Amino acid sequence: MELQDIISKYPPKQIMLVPLIIILLAFISLGATYFATGSPVKLGIEFTGGTLVTVPSQESEEDVAAQFSGYPLVDIRDIGSRYMMQFGPMSDAEYTELAKLANEKFGSPEIRHMGPIYSKELQAQVVKYLPLSFILMAIVVFLVFRELMVSLLVVISALADILTAAASMNLTGVQLSLGTVAALLMLIGYSVDTDILLSMRVLKRKGAVDDKIIGAMGTGLTMAGTTIAAVFSLIIISNFLYLIVPSFTRMDVIADMSTVLIFGLAADIFNTWVTNAQGLRWYLGRSKKAVRGQKR
Amino acid sequence: MTLLEDLSKDRRVVLYAVVVALAIICMGAFGLKFGLDLEGGSYLQLQLQGAEAQIDVSPEEILKYQFNASSVEKHGQSYVVTVPGKLDPTIADDLGYSGAKTAGGEDSTKITIQAYPETIVINYLKKNLDSDVKLNVDVAPVRYEIRTKVTRESLNELLAPVGGSVPAGEDAFVEGVSQATVEETKSVLDSKLNRLGLQDIKVKMVDNKYILIDLAGMDVASAQEVVGKPGKFEIRIQTENNESMHVLYGDAVQSVDIPQGERNGAWGVPFVLSEDGATVFQKAAIDSGATKKPEDHYISMYLDKDEIFSAPLAPELADSLNKAPMRNLEANVGAGDAGSQKAKELYIHLREGALPVNVEVVGSGQVSAALGEQFKLQMVIAGLIALLAVAGMIYYRYREKRIVLPMVMTSFSEVVMLLGVWALAGWQLDLASLAGIIMVIGTGVDQLVIITDELIRGGEAAASAAERSIKERAAEAAEKAGVGKVVTTTSKVYLTRLSRAFIIILGAAATTASAMVPLLVMGFGALTGFALIIILGVFLGTVIARPAYGRIIGYIMAAH
Repeated sequence: MELQDIISKYPPKQIMLVPLIIILLAFISLGATYFATGSPVKLGIEFTGGTLVTVPSQESEEDVAAQFSGYPLVDIRDIGSRYMMQFGPMSDAEYTELAKLANEKFGSPEIRHMGPIYSKELQAQVVKYLPLSFILMAIVVFLVFRELMVSLLVVISALADILTAAASMNLTGVQLSLGTVAALLMLIGYSVDTDILLSMRVLKRKGAVDDKIIGAMGTGLTMAGTTIAAVFSLIIISNFLYLIVPSFTRMDVIADMSTVLIFGLAADIFNTWVTNAQGLRWYLGRSKKAVRGQKR
Repeated sequence: MTLLEDLSKDRRVVLYAVVVALAIICMGAFGLKFGLDLEGGSYLQLQLQGAEAQIDVSPEEILKYQFNASSVEKHGQSYVVTVPGKLDPTIADDLGYSGAKTAGGEDSTKITIQAYPETIVINYLKKNLDSDVKLNVDVAPVRYEIRTKVTRESLNELLAPVGGSVPAGEDAFVEGVSQATVEETKSVLDSKLNRLGLQDIKVKMVDNKYILIDLAGMDVASAQEVVGKPGKFEIRIQTENNESMHVLYGDAVQSVDIPQGERNGAWGVPFVLSEDGATVFQKAAIDSGATKKPEDHYISMYLDKDEIFSAPLAPELADSLNKAPMRNLEANVGAGDAGSQKAKELYIHLREGALPVNVEVVGSGQVSAALGEQFKLQMVIAGLIALLAVAGMIYYRYREKRIVLPMVMTSFSEVVMLLGVWALAGWQLDLASLAGIIMVIGTGVDQLVIITDELIRGGEAAASAAERSIKERAAEAAEKAGVGKVVTTTSKVYLTRLSRAFIIILGAAATTASAMVPLLVMGFGALTGFALIIILGVFLGTVIARPAYGRIIGYIMAAH
């Protein structure tokens, strides 16, 4: 099996270069976006403030847009029998007029309006809570293993997952919204599941390290498979089904969430079975040598 | 069937079955409630504007500055202010020191003010900020609650002329208003919305600074009109030319009656002033000259500085006010349907004149019921597809119906338990919560995979004979403790494997749950449902469903 070759064929130090390069690339992507826009990922409307109006309509895009020409329309998209329009900043009075117009002209609009206070508060919350979530996770990991290097490897793998998922948002154009923040937090917790499985199997069982890693891998890949299957069905329903079945509609919160999750889960497979596994091989190999050296 | 008999003796399995049954009963008895984004309606997020601040200032300095005094002395409970030259006796009243005694000397005037030091500070702030200020004595040192938008800087600027400042430190300036004020504001909003006969309204507070209101079945423009506008109510009277002076705030309005229909060709809103309010109103009417020439003196009502009513003082009322204070007044707004509509609005505004704090709409939105219905349907389909996809993955791995079926059933039952808790607690399921349920299916099955693999594949990385005997002894001890009496020898190993699987599961569950904790409070509660579903899902799964699954799969394998 090729996977098993990757685990045991090469010395850990060489393979570890691959995850390092990937983390570096993620940093470059996040850094470049940061210098271009002032934040490491593109901020969605919840963080920048603005108004989102979705109206059901059979008319053409131009016709719908023309009806809202009196307002600062930034973007209009067809999302399956409905048009999603994004508006720039406007006064409260203008917004109320816009809401009235949307309700009068179109049967059942969906409206979301985020003022500057709301978005600023939300930004402050993410800056505060995302690291907090990560720290809580790290504390639990240290409590579970009570061994510095092993815990550190798990935490580093999780960090690599989050970084890769965040960088993938820049690649796919998914913006940071409340939904994607939730997905990133979910990844923080979820990504360590397989790492814990791997480390437990390797540490608590007897046998050759490589065999134990390969044994854990069978379980771990099944786990990843089931979760990816669940998330994938979310992507299909929220993001693609409306293209085939016109009566269905896009659910942007769910679509954004599941896109981030799928990238994070893919990154997790790699980071668990390469980054963490090779890290363990390297760490255990080294300590064995150290023990032998002492005996001599 | 022996398998069922065996299972019915296992406490874990029994507990699991009871909980699932209870969950189904709860769902049937209480039903599931859905959030606004699935039911249709609109929401508003309001910010309470205000701050609490400690203030370092000497009351003497304030009085000196306000009266331009040559000296201020404190004698017991009162302050004696000495002002050079003659002084208009009404000045003290204008500055808010009612009951001050003014005594004119030869070339100076002495004003005696009976007041607590804090009252003087409050007066100064009120006068300069044009807002209510209250003392919060529940904290030490005491803080002044300023019920309008201020910053530390603007406050320091205001205090600079009297040599005062807000002390350094985070405790000295806190954005947001006190708990009591928050609750007062909430109850005013609650009662206002209830009076409008709106069903199913949720008013929630976040952080002492934000109010979140959900209004089912209403569009956002109407919602904003109803809720977003409450603010400070004020009555002013026209003095000369186009000038006007303040008469009363909303707190002087004691009660308001429902508009009674057209009388004398106009709709009117009758309202009653408090005794003090009526006296103040009478004084203002006389002072402004309105009682003499009522047609030149408009009485105006403002809500957040928007004029909501303006009409000249009625001649009959002017006559009565000349003799005595009048408590029962009526605001006439005009005839016909327009008048009726205006009267209705004025009624609401008058009733809510006393909202304690200014609010600002920071976010809002609406979802139509039809769209919510569509979302619900799509999420149910997504859930079923997820369950099928997960089942497919498991079958691909184990190729064994005996494993796939219990696994999928357990995962599904975890969802049932979750929904049962939600029905019992009366919590709302929103779109994000439904996504959370699908995530629970995904992660829940993961843990079942860990258990299954530890049990059936545990033997592959075969433990040494010596180790096995230790395990068997441990298992024997466990058996004596009454953990499992029906198990065969091989299942003693199975018990240890099971406990090993649970160490992994507990670790994984704890990390997932702990990473979700911040979401409980983040985003103005928008993701509380999602976080709660994941945390409780992990908890119920780990404590109830997975132990039972471990047993069930063990029995099935033993029977095999």
